[in-house]
Amino acid sequence: MDVWASLLEGFANAATPENLLYALVGVILGTAVGVLPGLGPAMTVALLLPVTYALEPTSAFIMFAGIYYGGMYGGSTTSILLNTPGESSSVVTAIEGNKMAKSGRASQALATAAIGSFVAGTIGSILLVLCAPIVVEFAISLGSPSYFAIMVLALIAVTAVLGSSRVRGFSALGLGLAVGLVGMDPVSGQSRLTFGEPLLADGLDVVVVAVAIFAVGEALWVAAHLRRTAAHVIPVGRPWMGREDWGRSWKPWLRGTAYGFPFGALPAGGAEIPTFLSYVTEKRLSKKPEEFGHGAIEGVAGPEAANNASAAGTLVPMLSLGLPTNATAAVMLAALVQYGIQPGPLLFDREPQLVWALIASLFIGNTLLLLINLPLAPAWAKLLQIPRPYLYAGILFFATLGAYSVNLQSFDLAVLLVLGALGFAMRRYGLPVLPLVIGLILGPRIEQQLRKSLQLSSGEWSGLWSEPVAIGVYVVIGLILAWPLLARLLRRSRAVPVTASDDTPTEAEQELVDRRNR
Amino acid sequence: MTVVVGYVPNPEGEAAVTHAVREARARRTKLVLVNTSRGDALVDPRYAFEDQLAAIERRLVEEGVEHTSVHAITGTEPALAILEVADTHGAELIVLGVRRRSPVGKLIMGSTAQRVLLEATVPVLAVKAPRQ
Amino acid sequence: MTSLAHRLTGRSELGLAALLGAAGLVVLWDALGLEAPYSQSDTVGPRTLPYAVAALLLVCAVWLTLDVVRGGRGEAEGGEDVDLTHPTEWRVVLPLAAVFLGNVLLIDRLGWVISGAFLFWGSAWALGSRSYLRDAIVSVVLSLLTFYGFYVGLGIYLPAGLLEGAL
Repeated sequence: MDVWASLLEGFANAATPENLLYALVGVILGTAVGVLPGLGPAMTVALLLPVTYALEPTSAFIMFAGIYYGGMYGGSTTSILLNTPGESSSVVTAIEGNKMAKSGRASQALATAAIGSFVAGTIGSILLVLCAPIVVEFAISLGSPSYFAIMVLALIAVTAVLGSSRVRGFSALGLGLAVGLVGMDPVSGQSRLTFGEPLLADGLDVVVVAVAIFAVGEALWVAAHLRRTAAHVIPVGRPWMGREDWGRSWKPWLRGTAYGFPFGALPAGGAEIPTFLSYVTEKRLSKKPEEFGHGAIEGVAGPEAANNASAAGTLVPMLSLGLPTNATAAVMLAALVQYGIQPGPLLFDREPQLVWALIASLFIGNTLLLLINLPLAPAWAKLLQIPRPYLYAGILFFATLGAYSVNLQSFDLAVLLVLGALGFAMRRYGLPVLPLVIGLILGPRIEQQLRKSLQLSSGEWSGLWSEPVAIGVYVVIGLILAWPLLARLLRRSRAVPVTASDDTPTEAEQELVDRRNR
Repeated sequence: MTVVVGYVPNPEGEAAVTHAVREARARRTKLVLVNTSRGDALVDPRYAFEDQLAAIERRLVEEGVEHTSVHAITGTEPALAILEVADTHGAELIVLGVRRRSPVGKLIMGSTAQRVLLEATVPVLAVKAPRQ
Repeated sequence: MTSLAHRLTGRSELGLAALLGAAGLVVLWDALGLEAPYSQSDTVGPRTLPYAVAALLLVCAVWLTLDVVRGGRGEAEGGEDVDLTHPTEWRVVLPLAAVFLGNVLLIDRLGWVISGAFLFWGSAWALGSRSYLRDAIVSVVLSLLTFYGFYVGLGIYLPAGLLEGAL
């Protein structure tokens, strides 16, 4: 079959010593970043974007994928091993994992998290291999009007569904689109929003904007609210699991994967809902539900698998449609654009080497993660002793270095500061960052598709809904936008009492949204 | 007049407490236990936890020594915290655990003991952990 | 929070709404200045998207104002390492921004090694680190490493500035 042949070729590319090295670097960086508080895979990839100028795209993406997966693993290590006085961690893995660690079962918790991540990541990657070509086939058959509609849907879904406040989501989107407008209009050649400043004629470099919003904005925000903590790391030996633990873990792994993958692939899915669902499911299906809240291994196995599977799922729309569903995917797409590679359904056609090497490296990266991190988990915890001033000074240092190296002009650094201040303001006033980045990246492409659609229909605006897929998508968009009104009407006509169930840790939900939404 | 002891949950700290108890008994004064952290890093193994502190306090109760504890995240170096406590509690002696450190190690990691030794206005007793 | 603080927070969010409105007006004004000759091949023209974006921004500005006036508040983003129980510590953020700005102004003249080291040292200081000597050593090592690293590994010449001859 064609697909498997391409995959094998991808393995051949990904397994070169050079690319293996990049995978290793990515995985190590990702784990380190995941372990440390305040950082995240999106920020790390953004900080490394300037470096990619000098690397081969294939190698760079292999590294990014490693960072993406590694970040998840590092995060679970911290939440399991961190002994914070008084605070009860509400991130799902931490609920059970931390309790396990406190009762001396840290090795088992780490093992089930690591192996579960590996299983989910591998299965997720296989699913990616199977699904992506199908989506691409479907997408290629779409005309510009439908593609345009789908992109608008991606924008609206991310803006209107995630986050608690729609007005702020749309505001962020508006700002992102506006920033994307700066520069020359490709068709008419006129400069927009440059105010006569020649340095802006090429537009704002996506790299600079991404670094500003993710790294500088975050660093400034954390600086404004520096935490002073002194927690301990629970000492742990080598992670391993007993027979009973294996028996109790394998089904949650599979169930978690089943939850995670589809949610990762949907534009507004994310990773928080599937991990939460997995936790609740495991609790309900468990033969020992009373253990939950005190260290039940299923409560670690399922959610961790869901997490990793959702990361694999995110790659489906990213690679096959060019649509990002979370911050890390958005930044990776920015990297693609940086290389002059157009994301979209034709990516598989135009750059098969890159895509398949990337997918193959997912398997390699997952394996590397398991082999390296399983014995090294206790060592990673030592990283947590780095003082925060160094961490955040380092972020600003590398952000500046990266942004400057793009064009070697200090103007970019001024842009960095201004947009960093914007990022700060957004975090202060609760404007979600994701719509801004997606608006920035998709804006120009949406305009392009709009133009193409109207060209095809010779200027008739009705051409926008000439295709059945387009009509269907617009209906969905309409539903999403009208949802609050509909919900209110439904509620009034049915007056259903809302029951609060006590296995619904809503704080956990909020914590998850905050944590994963970077 | 009190005896101030800088406590850290490790063998040096335990040794310091042992000697501090001896001194407090000999001088018939109160013991003030100090354990603080800058809170700069997410993890600080030198900051005692509730249960560790409770264990030490139980030990002090068993030894029959009158004591109070200063246990907080102060945002300042532990050396400064110790000196400040010595000031406010009218210390006549400060007891600290010390560990062998190379000059480079001291430069990079800093040394609480060295700072206290140099800046204290009262005698300082430096104690090493008993050899295992 | 006292009710005065509550009202003031609301008012600063109105500042954000004003910013959105201003942005929308700027985009609109800029778009009006564009020429859009009729073209068969491009009926959309360079002004359509700017108009749409300006409209979105202005609608959001009004919507946000209404939301704030009715009592809605944007939730400040929490995070793994963020302590939201205290208000913004400006005495950390402002020096940090100042150090950053300093680097922006000095980098071309003094070169990356000096200016980058200043950036790291200054940022660490603004963030509360008081081990001056250790910070300085780390700063210089970092800036030297990255200077040579970028040259050797990526072929990018960071400015050497004052140290032109020495490096």
